[in-house]
Amino acid sequence: MSETKIETTVHGMMAEFTTVDSLLSACRRIRDAGYTKTDAYTPFPVHGIDKALGIKPTALPWICLIAGATGTCIALVMQIWMNSIDYKYIISGKPYISLPAFIPVAFELTILLASFGAFFGMWALNGLPKFSNPMFTDPRFDRATDDRFFLYVDASDERYDANGVRNLLADTGSDYINEVVEDDSPKEVPKPVFLIWGLAVAASLVPLICILTMRVTNSSKPRFHVFFDMDFSPAKDAQQVTSLFADNRSMRSDVPGTVARGQMEESLDMLTGIDVEALTMSDPPRVQRLVRAYMLADDEAKAEEKEAVEAAEAAPASVMDTTPWVEKNPLTVDAELLAQGQQQFAIYCSVCHGMDGYGNGLVNQRAQSINAPTWVPPASMHQETLYADKYPDGKLFSTISNGIRKMPGYAGQIKLKDRWAIVAYVRALQKSQNASMDLVPESEKAAVEAAVADAKAELKRQAEEAEKAAAARKQTQS
Amino acid sequence: MSEHAAPAVKPADDPAFQLPASLRGLQMPLLGGGLVALLIGMGMAFAVSDADMPRFGMSAYLTAFLYVLTIVLGCLFFVLIQHLVRAGWSVVVRRVAECMMIMIVPMAFLFLPILFSVFSEGALFVWTDPEFASKLHLDDKMWENKKLFLNAPFFVIRALIYFGIWGALAVYYWRGSVNQDETGERAATDRMQYWSGPAVMAFSLSLTFAAFDWGMSLAPMWFSTMFGVYIFAGGILAAHCVITLLTYLLQRAGALKEEVTPEHYHDLGKYIFGFIVFWTYISFSQYMLIWYGNIPEETEWFYSRQDGGFGYLSIGLIIFHWLIPFFGTMSRHVRRRPGMMAFWAAYILVVHFIDIYWIVMPEARVVETHTVPGFGGPLGILASLLCVVGMSTLVIGLVLRVAGGNRVVPVRDPRLRESIIFENI
Amino acid sequence: MSLAIPNGLDNTVERPGERAPLVLGETTYHDITEAVCKVAERPPSKGWIGGFLVAFALLQMLGLLIVYLIYTGVGVWGNRAPIFWGWPIVNFVFWVGIGHAGTLISAILFLFRQEWRTSINRAAEAMTIFAVACAGTFPGIHVGRAWLAFWLAPYPSLNLWMWPQFRSPLLWDVFAVSTYGTVSLLFWYMGMVPDLATFRDRSKNKYRRMAYGILCLGWSGSSRHWMRYEKAYAILAALAAPLVLSVHTIVSFDFAVSQVPGWHTTIFPPYFVAGAIFSGFAMVLTLMVPARKMLNLEKLITIRHLENMCKIILATGSIVGLAYGTEFFIAWYGQVPAEQFAFLNRAFGPYAWAYWTMVSCNVISPQIFWFKKARTTPWIIVVVSIFVNIGMWFERFVIVISSLSRDYLPSAWAYFTPTWVDWGMLIGSFGLFFTLFLLFCRTLPVINMAEVKATLAKQEHMAHLHGHGEEAAEGH
Repeated sequence: MSETKIETTVHGMMAEFTTVDSLLSACRRIRDAGYTKTDAYTPFPVHGIDKALGIKPTALPWICLIAGATGTCIALVMQIWMNSIDYKYIISGKPYISLPAFIPVAFELTILLASFGAFFGMWALNGLPKFSNPMFTDPRFDRATDDRFFLYVDASDERYDANGVRNLLADTGSDYINEVVEDDSPKEVPKPVFLIWGLAVAASLVPLICILTMRVTNSSKPRFHVFFDMDFSPAKDAQQVTSLFADNRSMRSDVPGTVARGQMEESLDMLTGIDVEALTMSDPPRVQRLVRAYMLADDEAKAEEKEAVEAAEAAPASVMDTTPWVEKNPLTVDAELLAQGQQQFAIYCSVCHGMDGYGNGLVNQRAQSINAPTWVPPASMHQETLYADKYPDGKLFSTISNGIRKMPGYAGQIKLKDRWAIVAYVRALQKSQNASMDLVPESEKAAVEAAVADAKAELKRQAEEAEKAAAARKQTQS
Repeated sequence: MSEHAAPAVKPADDPAFQLPASLRGLQMPLLGGGLVALLIGMGMAFAVSDADMPRFGMSAYLTAFLYVLTIVLGCLFFVLIQHLVRAGWSVVVRRVAECMMIMIVPMAFLFLPILFSVFSEGALFVWTDPEFASKLHLDDKMWENKKLFLNAPFFVIRALIYFGIWGALAVYYWRGSVNQDETGERAATDRMQYWSGPAVMAFSLSLTFAAFDWGMSLAPMWFSTMFGVYIFAGGILAAHCVITLLTYLLQRAGALKEEVTPEHYHDLGKYIFGFIVFWTYISFSQYMLIWYGNIPEETEWFYSRQDGGFGYLSIGLIIFHWLIPFFGTMSRHVRRRPGMMAFWAAYILVVHFIDIYWIVMPEARVVETHTVPGFGGPLGILASLLCVVGMSTLVIGLVLRVAGGNRVVPVRDPRLRESIIFENI
Repeated sequence: MSLAIPNGLDNTVERPGERAPLVLGETTYHDITEAVCKVAERPPSKGWIGGFLVAFALLQMLGLLIVYLIYTGVGVWGNRAPIFWGWPIVNFVFWVGIGHAGTLISAILFLFRQEWRTSINRAAEAMTIFAVACAGTFPGIHVGRAWLAFWLAPYPSLNLWMWPQFRSPLLWDVFAVSTYGTVSLLFWYMGMVPDLATFRDRSKNKYRRMAYGILCLGWSGSSRHWMRYEKAYAILAALAAPLVLSVHTIVSFDFAVSQVPGWHTTIFPPYFVAGAIFSGFAMVLTLMVPARKMLNLEKLITIRHLENMCKIILATGSIVGLAYGTEFFIAWYGQVPAEQFAFLNRAFGPYAWAYWTMVSCNVISPQIFWFKKARTTPWIIVVVSIFVNIGMWFERFVIVISSLSRDYLPSAWAYFTPTWVDWGMLIGSFGLFFTLFLLFCRTLPVINMAEVKATLAKQEHMAHLHGHGEEAAEGH
């Protein structure tokens, strides 16, 4: 081996051939001469060279099979777990585990992973990428990818002997034989490559750094909205203006002649609080108007009715007094209805009328404290003129619905049945202020008395505590 | 490139190209035995027919008929496509396919019972029953429209057209190939190639409609545009199996010892594997679309194949028609062993019967009451098997007869040499 | 030496028993290397620069339109109730279909040992990848909030607390198209590695040599490497072949699993696949016929290659025609009123113009390929293949638009009108496609040199054998 007297390592010997046939016959001769560490380099796959060189078949198909089976399993487990166990919901009536529907994805993943197996497995088995190869040191070897065929015998072969191999190769008709030596070309990568590489890395880090900076710093500027109309929907909110309609209101009233669902199921009595049958006798035109306003949802009629009522109020005998009101709450009054009424009263009425109905709600307290000049104090529910015999249920209902003096009508905010529930609750409220223990049923008496005693004890305890606290505060201050 | 010069083609009179005597002697036993088995099977099948399964007898016959017919048509298509693509590798096995292909002529005679059955009301196809529409409470106008297609005279005309096309193609390609054995003229190959394009088109069109007529119209209210492709997929798979199996038997008996090599089995094996996948693809797509769409007029067909024993057959088809042979024929080591390929070919020929049985037999039940379809008990199963075995044996007997009168390889085909020296990649 | 076809050598004629040459003239291995490498090595021609500028301008238009679309919203398209799928999905299916020819040529024709594929498979595979890129664009922007398209992937999201719906064919599409794109890319790249090594070894410039050296992973041409490489190639082909079929099958499921009349029919999977192959080959021909002329590759991409592709176009066109017919027949035979209406509406309704354009382009125009004269005349091939491209675009248009515009609820019927954005995006997608293709021509080997050389070697070997055979035959 050292006969060549070249200081660099010798890897082996290569011979160049110009035709496939000469290469193949040379391969056979080398094989028959007993060399095993041999290889051929060709510009295209040569059929039969594996036999001529004694190359063993590859395990690649098994790698693919295993990778493919893994893909199938991953896909099936993933789909079943995601759609049938972790996040269950029924789509188009299909069962949670719909195998036919899972097959397409299972198939695709099988193919994908098997292809990865074939692709990456092949490169791994071939030991590529490997950018440096002693074969590349010979400039003539550049034609191995063009039109020349090379046969190579490795120096580590047991039978390797430089002269013997050279003679054998020469004998096969090769016209170029050379030793393959260690690559002595400069190892370092040219500087511009590093420069470009460095610039590319730096550039690729810029967006990342920007994002990280934004994540950790605070800014007084408002957020930048890329998709403005997605962050701020162009759809209008309640009470906003719009240029789309002549009246500039974005909220639209019902289309004339239409009634919203659930709004025409009740009788006119219940809708108005008026005993319509009696009114028919006294004021038929008004009944007609009411029918148009309430049953046919005619806004004009509603406006006419309002005008008529307002006009008549000034007259000596107010229309409020002459109207035959419904005397009795049309809903069945029970604990449930009262609870409903209490809830609605607390929401809508108590702000002015107070939770107890004495007319001293928070709004009134505030109005009094600032001496609001136009403020009309809300009525107390506990005056006799408002008791059922003087102020029938229907009238109370009408007041809630249409308003009185400064109080606006609540028909738009409170649902029909809720208004009647408030009427029932107000009656209960009125009764509660001067009720005697006789009204309480025998069975409840003990409980009520106990509750009263508890309440009194609690009040007393609170008063004592407040006293003690005041005393203690005094002491600490002094 | 190879080490040795390619072997020369043997002369046309070489004994390797003749049907071996051992097979020649089987002709009459197979013909006789097949006919007897078919007749006994038919007799038993008609005995099984009862109120629950009024059409069992004719359905068993149709199953056997469609089984053999799909294989014969598959072989016809095989021959046409080899000419169309100027294939070289397949020449050594082409004559086997041609012998099967020419069986379309006896199949036309075996079709006669089915042809007559449409004139006997409700004997095989329920649409021949004049009461059918009223039994199922169908819309009259719709049924009138359907009857424009599903009526006995038009059915007969169509059947004549199909057999006319197939017979003409089979005879033309048979004559061309056999005559070339004597004359050896290259122009014969050119002519056959020239006509193969239109031939394939005529074939696909007629096969599609034949499948609609003889398979799909068993359930007259059901429809699937893919049904023709489905029948084709099963047939072409079985055809490759029959070619493999018969070639193997020929070699075992002593013919074609040197001409057919593991390379050819390897290639046939690849096609068998490929068509197993194709069949699965087609049948899965058909099931999937109907299952997913879930429209009553379409799901009906699969419902009657989920009832009773047919539910097990449906699952069985997935396992035995796809899973097992898929992995069985996947490896090249299997495909390169003639014995193994012959086994898988025989195996698939069995499951192909299950496929056809599964298509036809559930429709033998009473349609209007939606009874659960059954197999007709042990006797019914035996009858169905006897019918198909009988008809297949009969046809194999005829194949041997035809092969005995000719050579078992197109001896003067210009591409024969290419086929003999053929090697896979 | 001149690369023109020698006079009198017509390789479209094949005597039975002999195989016509696929590489013409007294070509050597080195000639093949020269012919292919020259395409990328010589300075760009004026035609190339002009074409690139046009394509690049169109690509910029597509980019701007996408920005406009995302910024404004999908209302800029013509998609209106009830036609929510509109043009984007038509374009998607169109491009995915075109993307089928490449892998088909590489994989299926490889498995069928059709050696003529070697001259055209590289360019066709490249086309596949570029077409899939075009196709992927459309569903990506059709999701509305394109920046959230990653929600389609099954990743454990802390925001959503849910998983994608695997019973939806649209999700199957995501998996199918992305798998297809990935595997096609691997297949294309793997096939290119030996040729990239050729580029490396011919490079005079140090940096060019380094770039191609890295790209080819240090390929040396070792026989052991070739052996595993060929095995891997065969396996990838065997995997890619069913993959190709599955992709358009799954695209067809998008339509066929629904209950929309005209969509729900079982023939869709094979019919879509045939249509995809059809349109893919048409696109290959549209590009290759002029390209072989301009790039001087007529000896490698011969008339025989073109003729074979024409035959495939004829075959698949006829399959598509058969499927059209079957659909019509079953619509009548099935006697389902909605189906019947859907098909009558296609042929005679407001979109009849589109339907008959489709039929004449797809079914009638390829029938000219029954004549050999037409199959071997380049200009006829280009004209017909362009017709087929138009026809296949209209096929998807007819399926998507005509069925959606008139389904079960007549009060919701509408007529689809594309906007200028729709038009711009369709044209722009061609810009994307051609930009990529033109860049490919200049930088990568347009023909698989290694495989063509192997074909040439086999051709010489067979000629040699044939000589032996003749002698043997005469000996008898």
